[in-house]
Amino acid sequence: MLAASTRSALARTNLARSFATTARAAQAAPVQKPVVEKEFKIYRWNPDEPSKKPTLQSYKIDLNQCGPMILDALIKIKNEIDPTLTFRRSCREGICGSCAMNIDGQNTLACLCRIDRDGGKDSKIYPLPHMYIVKDLVPDLTLFYKQYKSIQPWLQNDNPPAQGEHLQSQEDRRKLDGLYECILCACCSTSCPSYWWNQDEYLGPATLMQAYRWIADSRDTHGEERKERLQNELSLYRCHTIFNCSRTCPKGLNPAAAIANIKLELAAE
Amino acid sequence: MSSSILLRSTLPRALARRAALRTALQVRSASDAAEFKYVPGGPIYKGTVNDPTTFPPPSRVHGSYHWAFERLLSAGLVPLTVAAFVTSTTAHPILDGLLGVSLLVHSHIGFDGLIVDYLHPRKFPVLGKVCTWALRATTVATLVGIYQFNTNDIGITELIAKVWTA
Repeated sequence: MLAASTRSALARTNLARSFATTARAAQAAPVQKPVVEKEFKIYRWNPDEPSKKPTLQSYKIDLNQCGPMILDALIKIKNEIDPTLTFRRSCREGICGSCAMNIDGQNTLACLCRIDRDGGKDSKIYPLPHMYIVKDLVPDLTLFYKQYKSIQPWLQNDNPPAQGEHLQSQEDRRKLDGLYECILCACCSTSCPSYWWNQDEYLGPATLMQAYRWIADSRDTHGEERKERLQNELSLYRCHTIFNCSRTCPKGLNPAAAIANIKLELAAE
Repeated sequence: MSSSILLRSTLPRALARRAALRTALQVRSASDAAEFKYVPGGPIYKGTVNDPTTFPPPSRVHGSYHWAFERLLSAGLVPLTVAAFVTSTTAHPILDGLLGVSLLVHSHIGFDGLIVDYLHPRKFPVLGKVCTWALRATTVATLVGIYQFNTNDIGITELIAKVWTA
């Protein structure tokens, strides 16, 4: 017992003495993460040089020095490599819908899309397909918003309750689940071939789902007018149930089901 | 502009530049009308950015009736085809005729959908109209043909059966 304790005390003093000047060596050496270089090919077009054709510009970054999402890579490229790269971003958590773009062939939000860590494969980033481009990854969404406005996306009730708020049963409220969560990022509309060919007249899945959100709302009394407006060959019936909208939605919503419900309600009238 | 550079005084240079700018603006405003004209599907919008898009006048014939008719016809073709398959159509000429007309209307609606999608007259004022009328003419001609074939010959179901076994 005594021998052991003196030995350990000795060892402690020895340790203290021998490492007094080399404290850093006692610490674990920082793990050197391997360099995982990944190539990003990004669509570039500058309105200041309108005669120059759009090109794919290549950037290489080390994934171990970058956050996990495509948006992190874009911000890293803009900060460290090329400050002229232009894209929209705001919340970085999938609730604002600003960073919608076409990543490796799929419309999605850059902030919700993980970088594929396979360094051998490049990642191609394009703006939302078949839109007029303002610059680089920024599409012109003016028409998209004008169409959203055309369905009058607000509560219209001719007989508001005498006092207090509009009441709604839990069952009626549940009908709006899966509709109200839409953030209008335009991923679904711009993935729809019908919207590509006829977007000046066809409203597109995002706007139609919001149209149904107000048709389905039990507190809204203007459902008939809302439905009447869609009674033509272009606004609604250019939907050919292609389902690209539901497949691409980064929020996991189902615009195709909402459109099918509108068609059913119109046919059942 | 090059002549104005030779002048030493800044005043005439500024005047010359302003005049050049004005003529440039005039030229531009003349071409504005053509350059910023609304073209369906183009980058120029109707109205301001704050105006909502408009809807065409409502028409149930082009809307829900058309859609429901198309679906019912497609669904109806399934039992109709089965019925023509299991029965001898020489004994049921009405069934044969009904199948022929249903198939024809079904394909007419399908081709019409193609024209509305890809060659709509709002975008193709000439080609779209030509295609629409060509389709109508073809459909009417085919209708006459089916009538002739079913009344004077073996009828389409028998024809398909013969081709199938040939």
